[in-house]
Amino acid sequence: MLAEPGRGSRIVARLASLLLACLSGLAGAQAAATEPKVLRFAFRSVETGFDPQRVDDVYSSAVCNEIFEPLLEFDYFARPAKLVPGVAVAVPAAEDGGRTYTFRLKPGIYFADDPAFGGKRRELTAADAAYAIKRLRDPRNRAPYAWLFLNNLTGLDELHDEALKSGKFDYDRPIAGIEVVDRYTLRLRLKDPDFTFLYRLTLPQTAPVAREVITAYGEDTMSHPVGTGPFRLAEWTRRQKIVLVRNPGYRGLVLDTTYADPNLPEHRQVIAELQGKTLPQLDRIEIYPMDTDQPRFLSFMSGAHDLIQELPVSFIGEAVPAGNLAPALAAAGVRKQQVVDTSVWYAQFNMEDPVVGGYTPERVALRRAIAFAFDRDQAIAVLEKGQGAPAYGPIPPGVVGYDPAFVTDQMDYDPARAVALLDMYGWIDADGDGWRDQPDGAPLTIDYMGTAGSATRHYAGMWERSLRRVGIRLQARAVQFSDQLRDRKAGKYMMAAGAWTADWPDGQNFLALLYGPNAPDLNDTRFRLPAYDRLYERSLQMPDSPERDLLYREMTRLMLVYAPWRLLTYRKWTHLNYPWVLGYMKHPMYQTRLLYLDVDPVARRRAQAN
Amino acid sequence: MGAYIARRLWQTIPTLGGVILLVFILFNWVGGDPALVLAGKVPDPAQIENIRRQLGLDQPWWIQLWIFVGQVFTFDFGRSWSTNQLVSEVLLTRVGPTLTVMVPMLVLETLLAVALALLVAYVRGSLTDRTVMFLTTVAMSISFLVYIIVFQWLLGFRLDWFPVQGWSNDLWTNLTVYAPLPVLLGVLVSVAPSLRLYRSFFLDEIGQDYVRTARAKGLAENRVMLRHVLRNAMIPILTYVGIGLPGLFVGSFLLEVFFSIPGLGREVIESVNRSDFPVIKAITVYLAIVTMSVNLLVDVLYRVADPRVSFK
Repeated sequence: MLAEPGRGSRIVARLASLLLACLSGLAGAQAAATEPKVLRFAFRSVETGFDPQRVDDVYSSAVCNEIFEPLLEFDYFARPAKLVPGVAVAVPAAEDGGRTYTFRLKPGIYFADDPAFGGKRRELTAADAAYAIKRLRDPRNRAPYAWLFLNNLTGLDELHDEALKSGKFDYDRPIAGIEVVDRYTLRLRLKDPDFTFLYRLTLPQTAPVAREVITAYGEDTMSHPVGTGPFRLAEWTRRQKIVLVRNPGYRGLVLDTTYADPNLPEHRQVIAELQGKTLPQLDRIEIYPMDTDQPRFLSFMSGAHDLIQELPVSFIGEAVPAGNLAPALAAAGVRKQQVVDTSVWYAQFNMEDPVVGGYTPERVALRRAIAFAFDRDQAIAVLEKGQGAPAYGPIPPGVVGYDPAFVTDQMDYDPARAVALLDMYGWIDADGDGWRDQPDGAPLTIDYMGTAGSATRHYAGMWERSLRRVGIRLQARAVQFSDQLRDRKAGKYMMAAGAWTADWPDGQNFLALLYGPNAPDLNDTRFRLPAYDRLYERSLQMPDSPERDLLYREMTRLMLVYAPWRLLTYRKWTHLNYPWVLGYMKHPMYQTRLLYLDVDPVARRRAQAN
Repeated sequence: MGAYIARRLWQTIPTLGGVILLVFILFNWVGGDPALVLAGKVPDPAQIENIRRQLGLDQPWWIQLWIFVGQVFTFDFGRSWSTNQLVSEVLLTRVGPTLTVMVPMLVLETLLAVALALLVAYVRGSLTDRTVMFLTTVAMSISFLVYIIVFQWLLGFRLDWFPVQGWSNDLWTNLTVYAPLPVLLGVLVSVAPSLRLYRSFFLDEIGQDYVRTARAKGLAENRVMLRHVLRNAMIPILTYVGIGLPGLFVGSFLLEVFFSIPGLGREVIESVNRSDFPVIKAITVYLAIVTMSVNLLVDVLYRVADPRVSFK
């Protein structure tokens, strides 16, 4: 029989266990200090490569943004996004009425070590920035973002045209538009004033690259990115796994809280988690590109991934029922963010189509009636599972020029108004077949084009049902992406699903889609309204100001009156992260901002052990 | 036999010519314009024209066809239009993961289907037979996608028996950690139709006179089934397996996408989405060559399975 231990022995046992706990805690702390900080998550689509001047997809660009550094970037906190220096010393002021911008680069920034540098440290210079811009217009690179410097920098178009003829781009020939003033100074001169020009220099596609690296790797630059950014590519299995590791040569950064709002709890949390730390904190990042929603969602739910960006709409009900975190996720301390994307979704009409296009009252009435007939709220509730906000103008929230006070009834669901408009302008059922006909008696059938895919199919179905309710026949056709591009460009469509995501957070980036001279390339709606074009041209001459906002608003009104688009939604994305991911705040302009993330490996281990 | 193989190899030339022509027509006249996809978000006519010129799409069709023929015979399809990776490198790096999943799947499925089919054929009409047939009917009525969605959730996430998805650079890790769940699902889906088919092959053989004779001679049942019935049913089984063999080399798109396996099936879909014609053309031609080779191999194996078969 075992005797019950006495009080003295119990105290000794407790002291011993306390000592053990202290020792194990100390060992744990030491282990945590040396344990590499690894972050794992998934992209919701695949990447193509990491040559910044040769990529255009969101995910390749995101990785490039972690490896390379553009001249300018967006502040982590400021909303709407605000320009701050990247590798430039400051955001340059517009000179010569918005025609000239002079960048001074920070000295002492070095590229990550690479054999191409012959064992020497390679400092970033203004020539690298100039080289990157020229690379975008070198025809050999087939740069998808060549349009960034199309028809703006003095002499660059001519250089490009000569390269087309000769087959060789002359990088060494100086041009007035791109002047390397000295080792650290780059001056860009434009043909015409452009007050939104600086935004272009935030894109990873414009990030400086070292010429010797590009020369050394030739056609394999997509898999040999060498930048000055906080991370470098350590491992890459195409379309399966991307591993970034901390760039040991990176200069380090401390959190800049200039634009942080202490009244916002998410800002306070980020500051509390990152202040005093030298960034980056992450040692290794594993990114898994996944084409399908379920494995991405389950990888997060199982804890294999630390965060999930852009939670699939199909799993909203499981993870965030009725807008609140599911109990299991809440118990695990998962944090939720909902961010309205800087994009707008719409249905567009071909303004040159003989039936739905044109500017005469009956054509405008038809388009507006079609707009009134569509039940957008139902689409948001059913198809988007609440992950969208109704769009009232072409400029989405988070973009300069967005006016939260601007609300219009022109995009409401109002079938009675639709019917009244159609009746008033002669779109009636002339032959008694149950469907409305054109004013001249010809049959009316709306052709709706969308890309193949379940989301587009569901939208097409809703359009078909909505228009049937007001007596209009709609036939939807699903086409491959390349065929849709071809038909849009050729104007071979009547009505199509459309969307635009901001390249930079200024309304100009959206309003340009309806500017007449941009048709048919950028403006594939082929909307040509002189009054709109005049306003747009005036706005280009103006810096960000209340006066320019008024012009933006007036353009929005014209768009609503002539209805070349049926505005649908501003997409809302839900992002989730486990509590051991620190500093995470989804930036509307960046897919990732890994520089500002940290991981607490001890908290992760503890949570996973439980 | 040598003459037979030489004749068959000779016959592959016009077949391959037909494949080349068909692929060329499909991609050059029916497919979309890849220059529009590659031109980016804001395509301008000069950029599109430049891309078309660089890709050779502005050449007359007969020159494009000649270049394609040259690519097939030199096995040099150039570089991927979307990733700039060498197409040969794409194929070499993708075929390994595909085979890592598909070969175990085919072996397991064939062994399981043959064994079960032999068993249920032997007990034809019994409760076991009827139950197995009923289960196979149900199994065949369910979409592969449903299997993947349900079992990835159940076995991978809920029960945590397998990783939800993933792949490594190590063959052993892949075979023991990442491949088992996709293989299991593949076997679950493919075993039902094979089992039903093989059962009918066995039943055909069981009804033959030589089986009755063997039994009349007093041979043990297992000897009758394994020595005589199984052997004679091997020819149609080999044909069926042979038809499926080329599929080994393209993999299962659904499995590769859902389990993040960097195989050829996934590559095909990504390439189609991006109008990456060099990759699609290479895979199509390569698949045609594999199909012809496998067909020849199966024909040769007929003789191994049944010495009565002669080559003419």
